[in-house]
Formats: sequence, structure tokens, C-alpha cells
Amino acid sequence: MDMKRVMKDYFLDLDQASKDPERKVAWCTSVGPAEILRAMGFEVFFPENHGAMLGATRVCMDTIPKANAMGYSPDICSYLTSDVGAYLKGITPLTKAYGIESVPRPDILVYNTNQCKDVMHWFEYFAHEFDAPVFGIHPPTHLPEVEESHIADVVKQFEELIRVLEKMQGRAMRREDLQRTCALSKQATDLWAEVLETAMARPSPLTFFDSTIYMGPIVVLRGTKVARDYYRVLLTDLKIRAAAKVAAVPGESKRIYWDGMPVWGRLRSMSELFKANHACVVASTYCNSWIFTDFDPADPLPSMAYAYLKIFINRNDQYKEDYIRKLVNEYSIDGVIFHDAKTCPNNSNSQYNLPSRLRKGGIPAVIINGDLCDLRCYSDEQSSTVIEAFVETL
Amino acid sequence: MSAGTNHEHLYWGVDCGSTQIKVIACDGDGKVVHKRIGRTLFPLLEHVRNTISAGGSGPSPLTEDLLGVKENHTLAATGYGRNHIEFASGKLTEISAHFLGAQQLLQLDGPYTIVDIGGQDSKVIEVHDGRVGQFVINRKCAAGTGAFIEELAHRLEVPLSDLTRLARLHDKDMTLNSYCTVFSGQEVIKILMNGERLENLIHALYASVVQRILEMTSITTQNVVFSGGVMNFNPILIDLFDEKLPDHTTFLVEDAQYCGAYGAALFARGLAEKQAENFSQSEVNVRLAT
Ligand code: SF4
Repeated sequence: MDMKRVMKDYFLDLDQASKDPERKVAWCTSVGPAEILRAMGFEVFFPENHGAMLGATRVCMDTIPKANAMGYSPDICSYLTSDVGAYLKGITPLTKAYGIESVPRPDILVYNTNQCKDVMHWFEYFAHEFDAPVFGIHPPTHLPEVEESHIADVVKQFEELIRVLEKMQGRAMRREDLQRTCALSKQATDLWAEVLETAMARPSPLTFFDSTIYMGPIVVLRGTKVARDYYRVLLTDLKIRAAAKVAAVPGESKRIYWDGMPVWGRLRSMSELFKANHACVVASTYCNSWIFTDFDPADPLPSMAYAYLKIFINRNDQYKEDYIRKLVNEYSIDGVIFHDAKTCPNNSNSQYNLPSRLRKGGIPAVIINGDLCDLRCYSDEQSSTVIEAFVETL
Repeated sequence: MSAGTNHEHLYWGVDCGSTQIKVIACDGDGKVVHKRIGRTLFPLLEHVRNTISAGGSGPSPLTEDLLGVKENHTLAATGYGRNHIEFASGKLTEISAHFLGAQQLLQLDGPYTIVDIGGQDSKVIEVHDGRVGQFVINRKCAAGTGAFIEELAHRLEVPLSDLTRLARLHDKDMTLNSYCTVFSGQEVIKILMNGERLENLIHALYASVVQRILEMTSITTQNVVFSGGVMNFNPILIDLFDEKLPDHTTFLVEDAQYCGAYGAALFARGLAEKQAENFSQSEVNVRLAT
């Protein structure tokens, strides 16, 4: 099953849906309740995925300044500024990739602040621009533990969302539809977890840089058969590669954990840099963020509430430290690289002394400064020196 | 370090920095036999070649050896331009190069911290058990680097060579607050408009560089080693570090500006030894070069 085909079909179908008065499109945050939207018959578009495309194609370097100039600070989420700027300029990387003229017009925008509050500002802007309703889920954040009361709170908000969607669709939510999307999400996410776990093999058959591409369907196609089927095929392939000891990084000698966002505009050069230094980035906070093993089709809303509350980004620092330590052990990691992304403090975990705490526990750690999209905040030279020096010292 | 004459086996280190190219050649004992310097200009390779070949009476590794006539020279590159020096047999980062250089020159026992202020960046490197532990490189801004000193010297229209002398004539401690070179420039203008003495201002400028470095990480070792050209040419920085680190013992490596190139030369030596043992470059452990 070809990744390019999967993504192309997804975007072409979205484009069709946005032009079809019979079909409705919802915009959703990347760890928002896609299963509910799909169960209610919405086609789902993820602006963060669009932000990543703007970053990877470096088109964002033309669009971020546009948003900055209209009043969105260069210090806030560069997905947001990339995307708002693209809208202001009337451009999208979807045109070059798939011949699609513009992003699909939303009938509703649904965000979840389990990741950050930038998504709220972002979705509110577009709700205003498209004159569409916006619905925000505001869960308790930065939790040491997820408690029953937190789950009940989010379930209530999900139910409120369902009422809004029911009104828009003129029909009630069918429990079996939600169970189906939840089950499909669960199957896909479990497979995604297994895909990532193939990197426990030595040598690893995949790197973080591969995974940032492979993760497309788990972000944008949760709750569909396509995502599940895609990961079945991918997993089989990776298992064969792992068994045959096919190394993603030939001569793999160091194994690295990556914390924080990718530098989208530098995926290829970073991948080459690690390869040249025989270092393989075998695990990351970022790719693991789409593992939702707690989904339970028998109990969809509470289990989804739990899974979406439990995510790494929504937890306190002690949880994050324990989580990274666990993965360092499981993946036989030699050192941790923290990407301190200038415009996303939410996904930058180096700012509250975590690297020092890891070092004290005997885990080498280093910080690179950069950004997910905004290459004005990034120095190739400085980052590669830090990365190479780090690998040299391991 | 001292200059010498021809040696049979030479190990060359090229530190291709953002402002200068520094070249060292040493013999098998680590004794320096050539020391050369040039500006980082473009096309880079041409200037690197010129710097290696220029000055000094000894053999040029380019014309005589690295082009294949002999096999008794090995060259390693470090610095921001390291990846562009295609005729190098190996490369290493400035972090490892300064460590190797300082380790050989000072032979310190026990842990120490290297502070290297460079033209475009600064580094603080902790050494434990004879190997690099934690290190940090300054963030995106020029504050805390040689570029910051140059920029403000330029604004003040004071020759760089005169800065330390003037700073030593200060009669008041002042603080420049900003992280940012542009903001600092504005602070400087404001201070001058208020009629402050230039000497006090220059002293404050140096103090701010020291402050920016000490903000990068906490220095936990007793011994602190200074490396890099900026320290060489602005010795007042060492006085200021001494003031801020009264309980530490500080050292300036000899010819601090060449420390990285020397480290690269030692790395080349290690590389040659390893190659002789039929290992691949990736298997060379930088620690063995000392
Ligand atoms: S988590 Fe970071 S990158 Fe993602 S939307 Fe929020 S601010 Fe942007």
C-alpha cells in the first residue's frame, strides 16, 4: 500500500467533499476527537498537517512573514502563522502536490486544548474567516495523573460537541458508528505502536525521519479502514526488514531519542547528518504522541477522553521524565536530543531542566535550538555542530 | 607551541572558523612544527589551501602529500567549515577539537570546564574522566561571542586592539542588560548620550559577554580552561571571569586561538595510528588521540 497514494486519495476526497453540498467538512486538531467527527459523517481536515506540509516544502518562509505583518507575532506557533499566512496569500502546498486549489472550506472547526492554546486562536481566526462555528474542548491540562473527574469533564464536553454535530447533520449519533470509528482508530494506533517498536531492533529498520512521513495516516485518517490497512502492510514490511537486519542507518553505532517537534524544512538534511555519523534516531516523543492504546470500542467516549487526556504533552514534568527514561531503556538509547522549538514551548521539553535531570541519572542529553517551521529561528551550522559533537561524545 | 622544521611524519589540523582559518602541523610527539593563519574568505577551499601552503618553510601537505605523492601526512578538519574541506582524512567538531587540544596542552588531572569564546559562537564544555561530558553552544544571538565585541567596537569606532586597554581604565561597574546585539547597541548609545565615560562602557560590554557565557550553564568544576582567539586578544575577559569565579582555578591555554587546530592535528595523529591498525575512521575514538 503506497503512502503517497493514501495521502493523495485522502486529500482528493476532502476536496470533493468540500465541493459537495451533501457532504460536510470538519477541521480538527491533531489530537482532537476525529472519531466523533467521522462517526457523525464529517470528512476531517487537520490544519496542523497542512502546517507541516508548509514547513516541509519551506513555502512557510513566504507565508509566516505575511501573518507576522498582519499582527501574529513571530514568537507564536509557526504552524499557525504558516497557515494563516498561506490563507492570506491564497496558496497551499496541496496545489503542487495534488492539483487542489485550496484547503477545504470548513462547516465546523473543532479544537482540543490538550496540546496547547495556540490551536484555539488559530481555529477562531478561521471560524471568523469562513463564518463557521467553532467548538473547543478545554480539558484539564498538565496532569500528573488522569483522574475520573477529568474523564467525566471531557466526556461531558464530547457530549456537548455531539449535540452540536447532531443538529448540523439533522440526525442522532448512532452508538455503533462511534464504536466502529473508535475500533478502527484503536486498531490503527496499535499497529502504529508496533511499527514504532520495530525500531527496538538493532540495527533499527526505521528512523524518526522515516516515521515523520509514515505517521501521515495515523494523524489524518484515524477512525478509517485505510489507516488500519496501511499500517498492517507497513508493519509486515518493517518486521521483515528488522528480521533481515536491514539497517535504516548503515553501520548504526549510536541510538538516539528525539524529543520535540521535527524541523520540517530540514528533514532530509538532518536525516543525512545522522546517517553520516552512524547515529540512528530510533524513538521520539513526537511520533509516539499518536499512540492511543486506551481506546475501547465497548466504552468509546470515556476511553477516548482518557486517551486524549493521557497524552505526553498534557502531562506534568515528572511524567515526561519517567516516560523518556522508560523509552531510553526499552530502545537502548545512547543519548537524548531535545529540540527547543522557538515557537512551540508546548512541545519543547528542555526548558524546565529536564535535560539536566536526565544527565544526573546518567542519560546524556543535549539541546538544539530551532523551530518546527520557521527557519529564521534555525541555524544549520549550529545544530549540526551540536548534533555531531554530541554523537562524538557518546 | 613552537615552530620547527621538516619532520618525516606530520599531522595537520585545520580549524576553519567563521572568521579565521587556523592551521597547525605537529609531529608524532605532538610537537608543533607549523602554525599558520588566514582569513575565512571565499571560495573557501582556495583560501584553506592558501593558508595551509602559505608562510612557514615546511612541506605543504597539499602539494606534496595529500595529492598522493607521499603518504606520511594526515590532515583533519574542524570548525564550521570542516565539512567543506574535501581533502581532509577526517573531521571532528570544535567541541572535540578544543578538548583534545586543551587536554594535551594542559594535561590536567580531574574534571575541568573549557570556555571557548569564538567569532560567532561560544561553547562551554565539561570534561570528566578524560572525555567530554556535557557541553553547550550559545543560542542564536551574537551576544556572548566575538562578533558582539566586534560589532560594538565598530559602533564605538574604537580599534579592537585598544579595547582591553581602555576597559582597564574604567572607574565604574555598569551593566548592559540585553541579550540582543541590536538592543545592546541601543543601550550603548543611550549610555553615551547620558555622558558616560567610554572606558566604563567598554568594561560593561566585556562584563556582559562574561555574563552571557555564565548564563549558558553552571560551571561545576574547580578548574576552568579558556580557549579560542577571542580570549587571546581580549585578556580582560579572563580578569572578569576570575572576578566572577573567585573559587575556581583558571587557565588560558597557550596560543588559545590555535587550540582547536591543534586538537584537530592530534585527531589526525590518532586517525593515522588507527588507520595503520586497519580501522575505519568511524571506529577512531577521539580519546585515543590524546
Ligand atoms: S502544540 Fe505547538 S506546534 Fe502544535 S499547534 Fe500548539 S503551538 Fe503549534
